[in-house]
Amino acid sequence: MFLNQLDLTTALRPSLLPEETLLFVQDAVGLYEGKYKIPQYQNGHAYLTSHRACYVDNEEPRKHSVAINLKDVEHPEFYAGFLKSSPKITFYPKPSKRLSLSTRGPPTLSGNNATSSPVSITPERYGSPLRTLASSPAPAPPTSATWVCPICSFSNPVPSNFDPATANAHTPLPPCLACGIKPPLVHVVKAAITAMTNRQSSPIAPTPQRAFNDHGNFLSTAGLSNDLAASAPTTSVQCPRCTFGNHPSLLSCEMCGASLISIADKRLELARNIGRSDSPGPSLTNLPLQGESIECIKFSFRGGGEKIFYERLKNALVQRKWLLQSAPPIPKPNRLSGVFDDGYVTGSDQNERDPERNKVVGIAGLERRGLEQRRNNELMLGTAFEDLEALMTSAKEIVALAESFASQANLGTNGNSEASALLSQSASALGLVTTKDMLRSGSDSLYVSELSRNLAELLTDDTRGILKREGGIITLVDLWALFNRARGGVELVSPTDFEKAARLWDKLKLPVRLRRFKSGLLVVQGRDRTDEKTIASLLSWFRELHSEPPVGEVSWDWRLFGRGVTAQETAERFDWSVGVASEELEMAEEKGMLCREQGLDGLRFWENWLVNMPADCIEG
Amino acid sequence: MASTSAAGPSNNKPFQFPPHYAFPPFFTLQPTLSTRTSQLHSWSQLIQAYCRHHHLFSLTLIDALATPLFHNAPLRRQLSARDARAIVDWMSSAEGDSRAEWIGAAPKKAAATAAAAADGDEDTRGRFWVFWRKPEEWAGVLEAWVDATGQRGSVLTLYELAESDATANQEFHGIDAELLQRSLMVLVKRGKAQMFGGEGEMGVKFF
Repeated sequence: MFLNQLDLTTALRPSLLPEETLLFVQDAVGLYEGKYKIPQYQNGHAYLTSHRACYVDNEEPRKHSVAINLKDVEHPEFYAGFLKSSPKITFYPKPSKRLSLSTRGPPTLSGNNATSSPVSITPERYGSPLRTLASSPAPAPPTSATWVCPICSFSNPVPSNFDPATANAHTPLPPCLACGIKPPLVHVVKAAITAMTNRQSSPIAPTPQRAFNDHGNFLSTAGLSNDLAASAPTTSVQCPRCTFGNHPSLLSCEMCGASLISIADKRLELARNIGRSDSPGPSLTNLPLQGESIECIKFSFRGGGEKIFYERLKNALVQRKWLLQSAPPIPKPNRLSGVFDDGYVTGSDQNERDPERNKVVGIAGLERRGLEQRRNNELMLGTAFEDLEALMTSAKEIVALAESFASQANLGTNGNSEASALLSQSASALGLVTTKDMLRSGSDSLYVSELSRNLAELLTDDTRGILKREGGIITLVDLWALFNRARGGVELVSPTDFEKAARLWDKLKLPVRLRRFKSGLLVVQGRDRTDEKTIASLLSWFRELHSEPPVGEVSWDWRLFGRGVTAQETAERFDWSVGVASEELEMAEEKGMLCREQGLDGLRFWENWLVNMPADCIEG
Repeated sequence: MASTSAAGPSNNKPFQFPPHYAFPPFFTLQPTLSTRTSQLHSWSQLIQAYCRHHHLFSLTLIDALATPLFHNAPLRRQLSARDARAIVDWMSSAEGDSRAEWIGAAPKKAAATAAAAADGDEDTRGRFWVFWRKPEEWAGVLEAWVDATGQRGSVLTLYELAESDATANQEFHGIDAELLQRSLMVLVKRGKAQMFGGEGEMGVKFF
């Protein structure tokens, strides 16, 4: 299966595998299967990780989310967009699967398509070369090789049944469609051969079975487009102001400083209202995801961002992080000699192989071992920071080292546990947290929504149990401090962004919510914790107070009325902060469930017997 | 405290306080609207019942604060002067069914005094009527009594009405002269009675 089920975190983001890192996020993305839109997969977020390319739907994220494992991807293809057709990135599955498919006969999918949307197979916009390219990866690429008429220079299709190998002077040739002059045989043969060689020169040629498909057409433009895609549009991003070709990962023009993103953004604003109902692509009526007959999957980038996505995708495909898990650690220089170990030998093996080390025992041996260890660390740090590439490849080791440093520092100072917990957290947070440069920073809304998901993840993470520790409710300010500390001092989040992110929880249907108390205090709590539940828990506590005698002599009938509680007592009872407790009490009071008593010793809250007197009380 | 005689007909039995009276938050005026309305109703009923029981027609706020009405000594809870004033203000409003009225304060001045009360306790010495029966209701009671005793057409002095032995078992026995006059004025307006006479010795004739 090319498309895989995607597990989502509580914040509706793809849950990352160990070692997996998030590379890029883009919103306003739709999915195509072949050249057909996949229904219900038309408005979502695309997440690019080191292992996968994921699509998460905006409307029904749990239902309509898929991932493509990059290891299954043969090669990606870029299409820059044309007029109303959005830029797209096409993922082709590994050929082995396609081979087995095509031997099974014509793909079931194309049959589906033919019935569901009877689009004529020949492209409607013949005159547009880009359009032709765009449709080339479709199940039945309609175009074949072309020959250019030497008389009128019109591009004619090479006949479908034309085979350059068997062609001779007697092979009937159709005249030029424009001027009606028959072409010379050599000319047509040349064109056909060029087309074939183009196709074969692409990294891995489509299988011959596929070349002659249902219609017997030559599949030539697929190869052609590969070449074009690799060379033309992806290597640089043209500045809209000065037309300077910038590197795709740049966010503003190197020459004139103009934002490379704003243009796309403005279009996005417009497009958001329009929707994609008028998108030129046809759409599938049924879902082909379960089927194995997937020719290719396209990500359509309606909100821009496709260039950076493609750039990072190519890098991810080159790096092949998914191989890392089984791969040997990076070569380590052998002790003293400086010769690089092959790295396959584990520590214990090394000990056995090293007679020298075993000879030195006792304190000297310990000291020596410590020295070696330090030298080793030094070397690793030295090589790791040599350049960025090296850091990337040895990131795993460095993180492990950092963690061990952290634990050592903790041992040495015997410091407070919170600080050490934060230290170790910060290491793991490095790979976890959305930073501004992971996204196109021009698009603030995307950054904020990702931040919002990030926050929700942090809050619902059971291993940290932030909300539980705070009694299920935490003030926004406390959370902000906690969050920034968890980020370990890098990429701090501004309070404005933070509040904006928190306000998005409702819209993104995340499992936490932001609540404003009457006094304006903003707190964060789980979505399942409603006012009704809070009141119910408060009232059940009050009912308990009817049966337990209060401390000291009281002048009222505590069996009947229970007793009044202060915000302090409530905070202790429910593990809330005092501010939250008093706000919750006032909320319950406002709902008419509690009433207050302003005494000399402060404000106390009671069950509201003012409105409903207990029945037995009225009789007595 | 009260202005008139304390010798009522039902004064032998102690006053039965409502259950709210034993509930500590009853002595704190609630900020929540629905709870507050309910509480004010309870207070209004308590004050009326208390005055009816003790046969009181008006109260002086500062003095009343010390009485068991506003001060629950066993509970060690007491209504503050400001809250008591708020309750009386509410009782005199249309919402409180005009069951009280500040004495000597015109309706317009009432607003001013309320404002003054907010920043100081200057006005706590104010007296107020407690209408456990409103003047209109008193008028009805008087008329019914006159009817029942067959005194229609005869002339009675106000003193006779309030203090004579003939009215000793009536609710309006011992009624405040000013309130009695107001009640009779209602009858006069309706054309059911006529008042005459001068200072100190006023008479009334029922038709």
